[in-house]
Amino acid sequence: MVTETILQQLVLFVPELILTGTFCLILLTGAFTKLRDYGTSTLTLIGSIAAFISVLPTIGVQKSLFAGMIAIDSFAVFFKLFSLVCLIGITLFSLHAGELKLVRTRSAEYYALLVAMTLGMFLMASATHLLMMVLAMELTSLSAYVLAGYTKEAADSSEASLKYILYGAVASGLLLYGISILYGLTGSLHYTTINHVLAVEPLSRVPLALVFVLLLVGFGFKISAVPFHSWTPDVYEGAPITITTFLSVASKAAGFAMLIRFFKLVCVNPVASVEAGYSIPLLPIDWQLLLAVLAVLTMTVGNLVALWQENLKRLLAYSSIAHAGYMLIGVVSFTDKGIASVLVYLVVYLFMNMGAFLVVMVVANKTGSEDIRTYRGLGSRSPFLAIAMTVFLISLTGIPPTAGFIGKLYLFAAALDAQWYWLAFLGVLNSVLALYYYVRIIRNMFLRESESAVPNISLTSGEVLLLGALLVPTLVFGIFFSPIVEIAQKSIVMLGVP
Amino acid sequence: MIVDVLTWLQQPGLSHFLIVSAIVFALGLYAILTRKNAIMVLMGIELILNAANINFLAFSRYSTHSLDGHIVALFVIILAAAEVAIGLAIVLNIVQNFNTANVDEIDRLKE
Amino acid sequence: MMRESIDVYTVLFYFFVSITLVSACVVVFSRHIVRSAFALLFTFFGVAALYVYLFADFLAITQLLVYVGGILVLILFGVMLTNKQINVDIKTGTLHIVPAIILAAAIGGTLVGIAWSNPWMVLPTSSSVKTTAPQIGELLLTTYLLPFEVASMVLMVALVGAVVIARREKNKKETTRDS
Repeated sequence: MVTETILQQLVLFVPELILTGTFCLILLTGAFTKLRDYGTSTLTLIGSIAAFISVLPTIGVQKSLFAGMIAIDSFAVFFKLFSLVCLIGITLFSLHAGELKLVRTRSAEYYALLVAMTLGMFLMASATHLLMMVLAMELTSLSAYVLAGYTKEAADSSEASLKYILYGAVASGLLLYGISILYGLTGSLHYTTINHVLAVEPLSRVPLALVFVLLLVGFGFKISAVPFHSWTPDVYEGAPITITTFLSVASKAAGFAMLIRFFKLVCVNPVASVEAGYSIPLLPIDWQLLLAVLAVLTMTVGNLVALWQENLKRLLAYSSIAHAGYMLIGVVSFTDKGIASVLVYLVVYLFMNMGAFLVVMVVANKTGSEDIRTYRGLGSRSPFLAIAMTVFLISLTGIPPTAGFIGKLYLFAAALDAQWYWLAFLGVLNSVLALYYYVRIIRNMFLRESESAVPNISLTSGEVLLLGALLVPTLVFGIFFSPIVEIAQKSIVMLGVP
Repeated sequence: MIVDVLTWLQQPGLSHFLIVSAIVFALGLYAILTRKNAIMVLMGIELILNAANINFLAFSRYSTHSLDGHIVALFVIILAAAEVAIGLAIVLNIVQNFNTANVDEIDRLKE
Repeated sequence: MMRESIDVYTVLFYFFVSITLVSACVVVFSRHIVRSAFALLFTFFGVAALYVYLFADFLAITQLLVYVGGILVLILFGVMLTNKQINVDIKTGTLHIVPAIILAAAIGGTLVGIAWSNPWMVLPTSSSVKTTAPQIGELLLTTYLLPFEVASMVLMVALVGAVVIARREKNKKETTRDS
């Protein structure tokens, strides 16, 4: 009886099983064969494409698996496909990354940990039980700590991994303590049961507020929201750039998935929301305001500090903090429109942010530097690279006709719709602020001449293809955006949410 | 008032365990905030995780009468072991590269 | 009623509580990292004893095996290995003490206040002693099957990760040492 139901459930769990199998296979390949780099990266690609295909049949399914541990629903499917696209992209990046060439002997572990991290993100996006959420988060984080220090002979990389694990372990410790109090208050770890208890029994305000602060530390660490962001610049700068890209896009998205699902399932009044037709917050504390303050801090600090950065990797780290702030605006407004706008923004952000990091990686491969001064005169030396970078930066700023504009438009429109006027206003103000440091890079590329003789940057065909694959969506989605918006609107369907 | 406290002290119950856990938590937090040595920070994290486990088991015993708390505590121990294993590997690597395990001396990345 | 002598059960409870708290204080306030690591042994032991008071026999044993037998040994190894170059002086410095004391005391005070005054739901407890191991085993293979399997992935990642980071590569170390 029990085994039968488990076997039935496993049918919906195939993508995760494929990733686990890929993980083991890569490790075995690395241990017992001479196939090092190309062999293991090909395996990763095959595994992720197989997982991608196996996710597709679960579109539209709404089911709770393994005694309510995880949910298979459109929301989870969206994030699974999202992280697989990231994984495929990062695997292709890794083939061109110069800093990884020195450590090719360990590439099996590198790809295996990338796959494990993706598995963790799958579970983060679908967890509906606090224990499952913590385990998924730890699976992602532990792989990330190691990957950040993967080029361990480089002092920067080992420093990045140390800072990452210290901050990460503290955040997860505080999160667990918060969960333990929540367990005492509600007597359960299932999202839906906690929600029922919160809806029925009036709980005292102070312990609940403390629980939410502790939980926010954990979530805030994952999405690198200010004031829990202090690890981000150092880790992003020190880690190998492929890992930085993966952390800034996929890991952040998984953090948002976890955050949104938790607030949507736990903190919404189920009965009143059905009657009213929109989500009504449940808790005695004003957690929406708390998140709004977090969003403003995150945007402003990220953008302000980015103004002074000379290292492009570090600048993009601060810019990615700011982008987490923009996305928090969508979470704060919390309407269906708000959540959908976060998903739209994530898709857009995937292309433009990965693109910008790819350009930085290509330049660093050839010049060995990420300093903004190496970009002087790039417009005349390597026009394609410079133009691509310009498009990505314009899109990151949010200027039409790029995809970034559409993303921001939806976010701010959702905030206005939910009557968060001051929040939307501060968001727009921040976008203007961000323009300054993005334009500074563009100015360096086109209007300044390099003082010293810098080598010309010639691109390999693989790099051109990758850049093109990121450039085209960034431009096309700026004009034909209705497909992503439709997908996002379909993807907000969550199991257990009315 | 004093009588209340004395009778309270005589019967160990839920709040006793919660108070012990709160004190251990605060001590762990203090260690994390003040100590420079990375291994000391890891020890502070262990204290916090132990405090969380006391809470889980106390609520399991007095509030919910289910074994959910036990299971979570078991997984927390597993996670603590995994975190310490990776954490110490990273610290050893840092000591090779920097010759120190003090967090504030490792700041190449803040120029 | 007040005059009633306190029974052994309670006395032992406070004995274990004081072991836990005193040794935790030593861990935190000692300036000697080896002393901190050894004090942590007593904290883990005291916490394990408290688990017994909470009728969590399986967890108490696990705590002893994994924490005392595994994690603590690992930490001691870490302390010894990282301090080899400064044999004489294995002390650890501290940073910004005053704000840390205020913050930790504030949060700890709030927590103690909550623990003391919050109306926790308390069900009447039975004093019959039952071993928890069979039920935990059953739960792990039914309700908590997926976390159980994911935990194996977490441990595998930790294993691989620790090896990747800590393994010494002989061949090309010197060339890439200085980034």
